[in-house]
Amino acid sequence: MKHRIALGCLLVALVLPNPARPQSYVAAAADIPVLRYEIWVELDDADKMLLGREEIVWTNTAHEPVPDMVFHLYWNAFKNEDSAFLREARAETLFGDEPPGDGDWGWVDVTDIRLADGTDLKPGLRFITPDGPENPGDQTVMRVLLPAPLAPGESVRLRLDFRSKIPRTMARSGYYKNSYFIAQWFPKPGVYEEGRGWNAHAYHHNSEFFADFADFAVHITVPRTFVVGSSGKQTEVAIDESTRKTTYTFRQSMVHDFAWTADPRCLKIERDFIADKEVTEAEYAETAALLGLPIDEVRLPNIKMILLIAPEHKRQIERHFRALRAAIKYYGLWYGPYPYETVTMVDPPFRTRSGGMEYPTLFTAGTGVLTSRDVLSPEGVIVHEFGHGYWYGLVANNEFEAAWLDEGFTTYSTGQVLAKAYGPGVLPLDLHGIPIAPVLRLPKYFDFETDRVDAIKAVACDPVTAWSWEFFNGESYSANVYQRAATLLRTLEGLLGEPAWARVMRTYHMRFRYKHPTKAAFVGVVNEVAGKDMTWFFDELLESTMTFDYGVAQVASVKLPRLRRGVFDAGGSRQEITSKQVEEAERREAKAPPQSGPAPEYLTTVVLRRFGEARVRGDARVEVLVRFKDGTTETATWDGQARWTRLEFTKTVEVESAQVDPRGVWLIDANLANNSRGVDALRRNVVKLLTQLLFTVQNLLQFVSSWS
Amino acid sequence: MGILQVLGNGLATTVRKSRLLVLLWVINFVFAAAVVSPLAIIVQHELGRSYAGSNVRLLDLSWRGEALLKYGNSLTAIGGGLLAAALLFLGLYVFLNGGIIGRLLDREGRPTVAAFFADCGRYFGRFARLSLLSLVFLILTYEALLRLVSALISPLIENARVEWTSIILSNLHLLIALLLLSIVHMVFDYARIAVVADEEKKVLRSLSHALKFLKKRFFRSWAIYLLIVAGFLAGTVVFYAVHGLLAGPTVPFVLLGFIWMQLYVVFRIWTKTVFFAAQAEFYRAHPY
Repeated sequence: MKHRIALGCLLVALVLPNPARPQSYVAAAADIPVLRYEIWVELDDADKMLLGREEIVWTNTAHEPVPDMVFHLYWNAFKNEDSAFLREARAETLFGDEPPGDGDWGWVDVTDIRLADGTDLKPGLRFITPDGPENPGDQTVMRVLLPAPLAPGESVRLRLDFRSKIPRTMARSGYYKNSYFIAQWFPKPGVYEEGRGWNAHAYHHNSEFFADFADFAVHITVPRTFVVGSSGKQTEVAIDESTRKTTYTFRQSMVHDFAWTADPRCLKIERDFIADKEVTEAEYAETAALLGLPIDEVRLPNIKMILLIAPEHKRQIERHFRALRAAIKYYGLWYGPYPYETVTMVDPPFRTRSGGMEYPTLFTAGTGVLTSRDVLSPEGVIVHEFGHGYWYGLVANNEFEAAWLDEGFTTYSTGQVLAKAYGPGVLPLDLHGIPIAPVLRLPKYFDFETDRVDAIKAVACDPVTAWSWEFFNGESYSANVYQRAATLLRTLEGLLGEPAWARVMRTYHMRFRYKHPTKAAFVGVVNEVAGKDMTWFFDELLESTMTFDYGVAQVASVKLPRLRRGVFDAGGSRQEITSKQVEEAERREAKAPPQSGPAPEYLTTVVLRRFGEARVRGDARVEVLVRFKDGTTETATWDGQARWTRLEFTKTVEVESAQVDPRGVWLIDANLANNSRGVDALRRNVVKLLTQLLFTVQNLLQFVSSWS
Repeated sequence: MGILQVLGNGLATTVRKSRLLVLLWVINFVFAAAVVSPLAIIVQHELGRSYAGSNVRLLDLSWRGEALLKYGNSLTAIGGGLLAAALLFLGLYVFLNGGIIGRLLDREGRPTVAAFFADCGRYFGRFARLSLLSLVFLILTYEALLRLVSALISPLIENARVEWTSIILSNLHLLIALLLLSIVHMVFDYARIAVVADEEKKVLRSLSHALKFLKKRFFRSWAIYLLIVAGFLAGTVVFYAVHGLLAGPTVPFVLLGFIWMQLYVVFRIWTKTVFFAAQAEFYRAHPY
């Protein structure tokens, strides 16, 4: 049996077409994929069905025999209300997906599964619930027993026939009328982990995906009028006049998923990212110096950019490409060159609700017919989803178990690229599709500012590192793995400084391309590049639910009297200084300040408090800047371990203010307002704010009165 | 009488009775200040001595996020307090409407405070009943008419092939809802005017007067109403255009900004009196 499988693999290697491989300088760093797919799929537009055949070759790279294979059948999440996905969605109060309507359900049936020699494996096929018994009706994970365990280093070739009902869009997969976005659609093996077995979780409501890198060849047959966009590079087109159908073939190596879209209305436009036009020599030199790399290592390749866009969004074509160019440029310069030949950007077909999602070499953006220049949409979503291609796509962590390693990194990176390419933007706000943000003159924000708002409250229920479906709810999941993780990364950037941080991110990205790193891998890179142990940062702020909040509780100066009351021993005699003597001395001084001699002194007291549970550790300290009324400053540090500390300064001038974290490193601090405290009350902007608050209430009351 | 003449006369009346505006503005200001004061104490406590207060803005996400984190558990209480204040103000305006219409319809009389509050007391019972009745009409409008409109438009929106269809239809839906609302408003404005102008004791009869009046000249009445709405919207645009120029943080800008905002509040109150004055002019010029 083993020999037959090995022979089968050899044949497959000869017969399966060689997918487009990533460009050579990256391929050298890549592992050989453990999987090869060839998939034939036909879209039945009338019945909303997919009919598919999949041939895979899976190689056991572990040092132990593997008796079975486990597959994801993601679309069974939309089969009925017993699926883990829909059961969990039902429990959500804010971000729950509605279950499909009657007739809108989706599912996937494996109708046949065989070895290359024809051995029927279907009798050994079972649905399993790897995440516990809570969802016994879930059918999103399937296990199939092999006739004999697969020895280390051996490969198995399987052929699966499947038949899928396309859902009316759920979780970004499905259709609206005759527009389709097809994702998570084919039976996909889990990831085999040595000593742990198959890592294949059920499709959960708050989770994305995890799969092995593979070489793909996918043949998609659709009615002739359809425009198709897909992961990978289109290599062939075959038109069948008799059936009025077209088959498109797409190939791609070293990706772990494959998605496609088909829509008769959309426009398909191609542009080239020409590195020499987009990046100057000075930018290359600056990046190389920052990263400590030879300049040739930071040079970027040319890339084919493909856009599928709805006709009504035609005037936004250049806006889409400009954002994509910025993303390719900065991700490429900072983290490493984009390794594939193409990237496909899909403006999702109307009402397919498939916008804002990433797949290898393809992502969905999302826009409206009415947009505002000040609102960075679709730019934000383009930069974000393309960015996923760098983290989820290339540094392919397990999104079930450590979503923050993708979402947090991508959110952080998005903010960096947008800030560099566009500056701050206005938050999107519309009324029935009409943008109203410009009318309301909403303020502009950088992403890190808006991220922080969610980040500081996200800590209430869960640590950032919780498994995706074990978060308190969708809001906690989202705020933790996106915004809190991004805010923590920016905080870490502030702690390490720009050069060290740039090298951390580059090293982590390039070292773990085409791998499946965990938190430990990133912490290891941080410690290695920073040259110090920063593990405490992750323990304190990612693994715990502790709030980080240092602040100034009090600041005041008191004049030190020249004479102090009491009984003093001097020259063998004892003398009492009375209150009257002190008052007289002060009166004299007030009337005629001494022209010479020491100026009066003030004792300035600054009380710092640790309001949160989280603490700075390692070599980090709480910095304090004290400003005095003559413009001078004093700086001090506090180890921040106790609940409070008192700092005292004796100077000939009164204090003006005290501020912790004056460099603004600790973005994760839950209360920046208490970071500083002045002795003077009422700042002008607060007065202005109060007048605006009053005005708002006056208007609300006047509005209410119109109902009288 | 043409509608422009009606509007002109209405405007002239409100100018003559400008003391009303001052009185209503003072009431609005004092009430709003009382509502705002607890929030102002919180803002002052959090930001008054912090550098964060140096560049804080009304729609500043940072301090709002922090305040939400700190006072999130009190949101229900704060929201409840604001709702109670709003309901109280609504009740107060049911009371004040009597004084507003009473003084506007008294062509020769001066809008003294005593006369104003005497009218408030005189008509309060009838106006309160009219307000409850208008609530019934509003519910009926939304439950019956608007549901009917929704039943016609929603399937078109749900089955839209392109985004434009959806946007146009959903905004059309909103526009229809607002126009229906304006009609209900207008009917009850005339009913209130009928109570005062005809010294009608029965609110149903005053409503009947209003309906008979509107039946004969609905479109002209509606045009007057919509013209005033348009004037209000134009004034609002001007307000925000100028307000944007007063964004500086210096003392003169803060002061000018405050004065400009209060002028807008006066403008809002004036618009309300113009509604009543113009409609009263029209009602009196064309007895039902």
